[in-house]
Amino acid sequence: MQFVLKNILHFMPLIFGLGFLGPLCAQILSLTGWADMAGISALAIGIAIGGSWGLIAQLRGRWI
Amino acid sequence: MSMTAAPVDLRKQEQAIARKYAGRLPWEAVLWGLGNLALWLALWPLVFLEIMPLWLAFPIATLNVMLCYLPSHEAQHDIIGRKGTKWRWLNETVGHLSTIPLVLPYRVAKTTHIQHHLHANDPDKDPDYSSMAPGPWAAVWKSIQNRQPGAKGGFNKYGDILRDVGREDLLLDGALFQLAHFGILIALALSGYAIEAALIWWLPRQIGLTYIQFFLSWAPHHPGVGQGRYKDTRAFRSSWGNMGSMGMQYHIVHHLHPYIPLTDTPAAYRDMRPILEKRGCRLENI
Repeated sequence: MQFVLKNILHFMPLIFGLGFLGPLCAQILSLTGWADMAGISALAIGIAIGGSWGLIAQLRGRWI
Repeated sequence: MSMTAAPVDLRKQEQAIARKYAGRLPWEAVLWGLGNLALWLALWPLVFLEIMPLWLAFPIATLNVMLCYLPSHEAQHDIIGRKGTKWRWLNETVGHLSTIPLVLPYRVAKTTHIQHHLHANDPDKDPDYSSMAPGPWAAVWKSIQNRQPGAKGGFNKYGDILRDVGREDLLLDGALFQLAHFGILIALALSGYAIEAALIWWLPRQIGLTYIQFFLSWAPHHPGVGQGRYKDTRAFRSSWGNMGSMGMQYHIVHHLHPYIPLTDTPAAYRDMRPILEKRGCRLENI
């Protein structure tokens, strides 16, 4: 139990980037209509942005 | 003889004043804590059912998070109901529930806060020492930095303190709260409510934490150098006023007599001021 909790929390920046920031970026992009114009799905762009940011936060230990 | 008698006399006078303000059940804190939580919880259905616009829910949620800590703080000091008294259940209810928007477990908050009182301004033993910074903007930046995943201060320091005092069991409370918080945010985001989750919980919590750490940790203890009963905190005049600084202008009274309800500390301070002045306390423009 402790091992599982520790590991989930350890990887939380990456999980948060993919699971929360990704959909958040996607929703913001959809609201602005930018994604439709670019012809790429808003969720794909959002997950790319959120996932990259989460990965950077995971590796550097800081979001900003 | 008079050299030693004077401080004893001062102590007696100080305690007589403190007793005058102690022992009252602060119903306003109960209403504040539970009402604030109820309002924050109500924002979710109000926004989801499009009864309230999100632009209005966001500042209300931010206020909810900013306001949610202090009722729990009253409970942490057993002010609402001491152990063995008839209002103990209410004390624990307010303590556990009011800080839900802040994602701060009551038992973790209580244990670390007692350590703060015992070791205020001790760089190693004070769990809140990491909020110290040379100026107000530096304090805001420090609060944000302390929240980074790899930070050594802020809530990450709480873990070290819990281990030091032999309460590693409480780390589980913190882990479960974090998991629940992130789990709910992610579930909402994946269900198409990411902006709602961000503006009712995630961003209000970031703003609220910055505000709370600024006014409850940094401002009353700045510059964080003195240690000891009359040296580790101060009275100060805030440009945000007493309400805007959440009563922290009179934080010195709280550290000396933590059983006095928050809303009674201004009156207690005014009575106690001449004694505190003789004690050489830092009473700055108030």
